[in-house]
Amino acid sequence: MIDFLSHYIYYIGAFGLIFIGIFIILVKHNLIKVIIGISLLDTGVNLFLISVGYISDGTAPIFSSPDMKAENMVDPVPQALVLTAIVIGVAVLALALSLAIKLYKHYGTLNLRKIKEMKW
Amino acid sequence: MVNPVLLIAVPLGLAFALPLFGFISKRIEKYIPVVGMSFNLVISLLLIPKAMENPIIVSIGGGKPPFYINLVAGPVGILFSLIIAVVGLLVSIYSLSYIKKGATEKYHMLYLFLLVGATGVVLTGDIFNLFVFWEILCISSYALVAYTGEKSGVESAMKYLIQGAIGSSLLLIGIGMLYGLFGTLNMADIAQNIDSVSSISIFVPLVFIITGLGVEAAVFPLNAWLPDAHSAAPSSISAILSGLAIEVGVYAIARVVFTIFGAESFFLFLCFLGLLTLLIGEMSAFSQNNLKRMLAYSSIGQIGLIVFALGIATSYGVAGGLFQIISHSLSKALLFLSVGYIIYRTSSMDISSFEGIGKKMPVTSLAFTIGAFSLIGFPPFVGFPSKFLIVQAALAKGEILFVVFIAFILIGTVIEAAYFFRVVQAIYFKKEKNNSEKKEAPIAAIIPMFILALLIIGIGVYPKLVTDILDSAASEFLKRADFIRGILG
Repeated sequence: MIDFLSHYIYYIGAFGLIFIGIFIILVKHNLIKVIIGISLLDTGVNLFLISVGYISDGTAPIFSSPDMKAENMVDPVPQALVLTAIVIGVAVLALALSLAIKLYKHYGTLNLRKIKEMKW
Repeated sequence: MVNPVLLIAVPLGLAFALPLFGFISKRIEKYIPVVGMSFNLVISLLLIPKAMENPIIVSIGGGKPPFYINLVAGPVGILFSLIIAVVGLLVSIYSLSYIKKGATEKYHMLYLFLLVGATGVVLTGDIFNLFVFWEILCISSYALVAYTGEKSGVESAMKYLIQGAIGSSLLLIGIGMLYGLFGTLNMADIAQNIDSVSSISIFVPLVFIITGLGVEAAVFPLNAWLPDAHSAAPSSISAILSGLAIEVGVYAIARVVFTIFGAESFFLFLCFLGLLTLLIGEMSAFSQNNLKRMLAYSSIGQIGLIVFALGIATSYGVAGGLFQIISHSLSKALLFLSVGYIIYRTSSMDISSFEGIGKKMPVTSLAFTIGAFSLIGFPPFVGFPSKFLIVQAALAKGEILFVVFIAFILIGTVIEAAYFFRVVQAIYFKKEKNNSEKKEAPIAAIIPMFILALLIIGIGVYPKLVTDILDSAASEFLKRADFIRGILG
C-alpha cells in the first residue's frame, strides 16, 4: 500500500486536483468560485504533465558538471509543455475574469442561478 | 517553392502588427484581415498541385521528424486551409461595413487570431502543437462571442468559456497520457507505435482526447454552448464559428481517430454519435422561432451528418464527409451573412418579423434562399452532390444497419426542409405588417454573399472541381501507413 502510494503519489495528487476542479465547476453557483475551479483544473493537468516526465531524485536536464549522466535527468519535454499550458491557462483565466466583471455590470450579481436570460 | 509555414506566419504577424497600422491611419486597420486572407488564399491555391502529389513536410527548427515540431501540408491540410482562406476572406470583406461600433481594432485582431488558430490546427503534424493552435482558436472565439458587450453575448461567452476550458483540459490530459506511453508528440510517430501497447491503455487517452475535442466540434452530449454562442455573437462571427470553427473540431477528431489511433472499432460508434447529433439538432431547430438559434441548431445537425459520413470509413464515405464540410461552410456562411443584414434592418431575430422582406431586400433574401436550399440538398446547389455521396457511400456498405441509418438521415433532411421552407415562405409569400422603410444591404456585404452563392452553384453544377482533392484527402485519412511513411521517411 505504502509502496503504491509512494510510487503514484504525484498522479493521485494530480487527478485529485482535477476532480476537485471539475466538482467545483459543476456544483458551485458563484461565478468566481467556478473560475477558481477552472484554475484548480489547470493546475492539476500541469502537475499531471510534470509527473509524466519525473524521475525520483532526478536533476534538471542541464550538464552543469562533467560527471552528470543523462539517465538521472528528468524529461525536459513535459516541462516545456507545462510552460505553454500555464501561459494558456493564464489567458483563459484573465478572459474569464473580465467576462465576470462584464456580467456583474449587467446583472448586479455573480450567482449563476440568477444569470439565466438565455436558456441552457 | 512556397513554404506552407507562411500560411500561419503571415496572418499571425499581421494580427500582431495590426495596432501598429492603427498608428498610421485608423481606416486601414479593417483592411488587414482582407490582405492576410487573400494572401492565404493565393498560397493555398499555389500549394495544391504539390500537396496532391506528396504531403509537404516542413520541420520548424530544421531537424528531421519525429524531432522538432513539423507541419504537414497534405491534401487534407491544404483543403481545409483553402476553405478557411475562402470563407475567412469573404467574411472579412463583409465585416468592412458590418462592424462599426465598439473596439473595431480588437475585433479585427481577434478575427485574424481565430483564423490563424484554425489554419494551424489543420496544418500541424504535432499533437501538442495542435493543442496550442486549438487554444488560440478557442480563446479568440470566446472573446469574439462577447464582442458586442450585450447581456446575451457576455453570458453565452461565459458558458462557452467554462465548457471550452474543461474540454481543453481533458484534451491536454489525453495528450499527456499519450506522451507518457510513447515518449513522443509527433502524430506519425505515435501512430507508428500505437499497436505496441495494449488496447485498454490506448482507450483511456482516446476517450479523453475525443471528449476534449468534441466540446468544440459540438458533438451531441457536449454542445450545450453552441446555440447560445452562435446566436448571441455578431453575425459575421456566427458565420465563422458555424462555418469554420466546428468543422476544424471535426477535422481534429477525424485526424485523431483515423491517423493517430486507427481505431477501427470506433467507427460504428462515430456513426451512431453522428446520427444522434443530427436528429437532436434538426428537431431542436424545428421548434425555434429565433432565426439565429434555428441556424445554430441546424449547424449541430449538419455536424452530425459530417461525423456520420466520416464514421462510414470507406473512401466514398470520408470524401462525402469532407464534401459536406465544404458544402456546410459555404452554405452556413451565406445564411449567417444574409441573416445578419436582415436582422440589422428589422432589428429583430423573430421569424415573424421577416415577413415580406423579399420585396424590400431582394438580393439578401435571394442569398438566404440559395443557402437554405443548398443545406437542404436541392440539385443545382452544392448540398446536393455532397448529401448524395454520403447516401451512396452508406448504401454501398451493404449492411442493413446502414440502410436504417440512411432512413433516419433522410427523416432529418425532411425536418430540415420543413423549417427552412417556413422561413422562405415568410420571406416571400407573406405580407408585411408594418410598412417601414428597409434598405438593401450595402455593396461590401453584397459582394461576399454573391461570391458565396456563385461558389455554391458552381461546385453544385460541376462537382469535378473538388472531387480530385476530396479523393486524395480521403485516402490520406484512410491509408495511415502511407501517411506515416510520408512523414518519417
